[in-house]
Amino acid sequence: MRLPEFTRSTTFRWTLAVSGAFIVCILLMFGFILAQAYSYMTTDVDALNNEIANAIASHEPEQRILGLDQYLRADPHHVKLGGLFAADGRRIAGNIETLPPMLHGDAGAQLASLIKIDGGAREQQAVRAVARGLPEGGTLVIARSDYEFTWIAHIVERTLAVGLIPALCLSLAVGVFLSFRAQRRIEEVNSKIQRIVAGELRERLPARGTDDPFDKLAELVNGMLGEIEVLVRRLEGVGDDIAHDLRTPLTRVRVSLERARQKAGNLDELRRSVDQALVGLDQSLAIITALLRISEIEHSRRMDGFRNVALGDLVREVGDLYEPIAEDKKVDFAVRAEAETTVHGDRDLLFEAIANLVDNAVKFTPQGGRVELSLLRQGNEAVVRVRDSGPGIPADEGELVTRRFYRSDKSRRDPGLGLGLSLVSAIAKLHGFSLKISSGPGCVAELAGQSATA
Amino acid sequence: MVHETVIGLTGAPEPLDQSEAEPGRQTEPYAGPDEGSLMSRVLLIEDDAETAREIMAELVDRGFEVDWAATGIEGLDKARAGEADVMIVDRLLPGVDGLTIIEVARQERVCKPVLVLSALGAVDDRVRGLRAGGDDYLTKPFAIQELIARIEALLRRPSENPDTVLRVGSLELDLLSRTAKRGDRTIDLLPREFRLLEYMMRRKDQLLTRAMLFEEVWNYKFVPQSNLVDVHMGRLRRKVDATNEQPMIHSVRREGFILRAPA
Repeated sequence: MRLPEFTRSTTFRWTLAVSGAFIVCILLMFGFILAQAYSYMTTDVDALNNEIANAIASHEPEQRILGLDQYLRADPHHVKLGGLFAADGRRIAGNIETLPPMLHGDAGAQLASLIKIDGGAREQQAVRAVARGLPEGGTLVIARSDYEFTWIAHIVERTLAVGLIPALCLSLAVGVFLSFRAQRRIEEVNSKIQRIVAGELRERLPARGTDDPFDKLAELVNGMLGEIEVLVRRLEGVGDDIAHDLRTPLTRVRVSLERARQKAGNLDELRRSVDQALVGLDQSLAIITALLRISEIEHSRRMDGFRNVALGDLVREVGDLYEPIAEDKKVDFAVRAEAETTVHGDRDLLFEAIANLVDNAVKFTPQGGRVELSLLRQGNEAVVRVRDSGPGIPADEGELVTRRFYRSDKSRRDPGLGLGLSLVSAIAKLHGFSLKISSGPGCVAELAGQSATA
Repeated sequence: MVHETVIGLTGAPEPLDQSEAEPGRQTEPYAGPDEGSLMSRVLLIEDDAETAREIMAELVDRGFEVDWAATGIEGLDKARAGEADVMIVDRLLPGVDGLTIIEVARQERVCKPVLVLSALGAVDDRVRGLRAGGDDYLTKPFAIQELIARIEALLRRPSENPDTVLRVGSLELDLLSRTAKRGDRTIDLLPREFRLLEYMMRRKDQLLTRAMLFEEVWNYKFVPQSNLVDVHMGRLRRKVDATNEQPMIHSVRREGFILRAPA
């Protein structure tokens, strides 16, 4: 027979185990109580029997019969037994039919099975009994049935029946309820997860906001899902940006080719249009090349080409390279590389990174502005800082600028691929350097990395 | 006729304003080398048929004789025969690796110049390519003009000229005293400008692309975003070609620069 689904759940099994342990405990406890009660009552009964036996045995022989009769007559609960036997075992008085062999002489208190005669009725009873040998021969037996004990045992039995069975049922019910609940939650989570897998990225696992571990787990997973959603959206955004940035020059290409086809009257006009188209194509191709290069750097884990690089020389070379550009643009360009520090890295890539930062700075600084390229030492770190007096970056765009294709809305119309800073960011990441872009007035970009020790 | 064929993708983004910089100094698009290098034999070892076809068509147009090997083994045989004047070797080939071909050829004392082609995605391939004995290196995708310019540069590699003074027309560059003169006029050059002019004078009448100049004069192999080379070249040009003189430094539209003695 197959058990229903819930019986296989861990919750249900644990509930069963706990209830079982609980029941065993209760049974042990009652057993202990019974044993204690029995031994206490036995001692009590034995003491009483002894006392009475002594009292009756101390009488004169004629008085004993009377005393025994009196004792036996005052017995509202029908618990008393007693018997006076002659030396040959014949019953003289009392309500015990025969003298059992183990009660000869001065037998101590013990458990005995005696036949009680009450009028015409005979009844075998389990009793506590004592015996006294009499001076003229014969035996006095005083006994008492363990009726009280049976009674207590009976009460305990009924208590257990009334208390334990409902408790057992209750715990079973609780187990079933809990495992149903857990199962329902898992099914809920399961269905949500299936929806997420199917592409519903906005879906979240149900959480009740309580402190229970399941909720905490759900919150953790939800946090993770949030992160994934952001990444996926960003990726989608990148796709859109690529499409947009490629469409603009390609549209221009199409327009100029179409115009050339319809309007060009001679070879020179045709060439002019084709040249225009080629510019647009080159721009698109440059975007793709730059993208591929970034992912190449991002995915290269190789550090074979890493050497100790003197940053001072590198910074001066970048300065040398960009000085004429800045001058052409009438931008004041200052290079300060007083601190001589070396870092461990790829010289070409680091040059490219610094060149890109300067390129950006010069590009976004208006005529008459100023760009500073400096190399500093801050503790253990070498910092290349490029500061410009351009429009700067709005505070909320600080992190965005390193994203592929991100261009501040204000600069959408400036030429450029929008990929420079993501390239720098990829190079920084490869080196384990940090790239910080902050806004003063103007823009400050800082590339910082651990100085090489040797 | 402009042959703007791009193999896969272009190498260098063309600065948008290059033609505006010096109007009137545009020459016609570069039409090929002088007779000197005609009928040079090129061995092309490239497994991709389409790429090979485009490269061959362009090379034949420019007057080269092309021998194409589609596999590494075939390429290795032809390279060892040593009949070509210059070799173009793809880095990744079925059969034998491109670098192995170069190494074997070098061991067998085939000292013809080699241009290595490689796919994107290998930053340090360049170093290995050059270490294996390649003379120049081009990353796919590249513009076909870039390839042609480099092949021609390899074919006409300046012999180690023991002269300490370089001369092109009336232009003189003294490598010892680090001075330049055009006729009687002394030209003041910054160190980098001196290097640029030296490089160009050693390769007079050759098309030099921006990427080549940037690699050789600045020693960096990446594509600068701004029109860096143009700006530096513009400065050099203002010093070399004074207003009343015949221009010697010519822009080749969309392709690069040539230093030529005035006719």
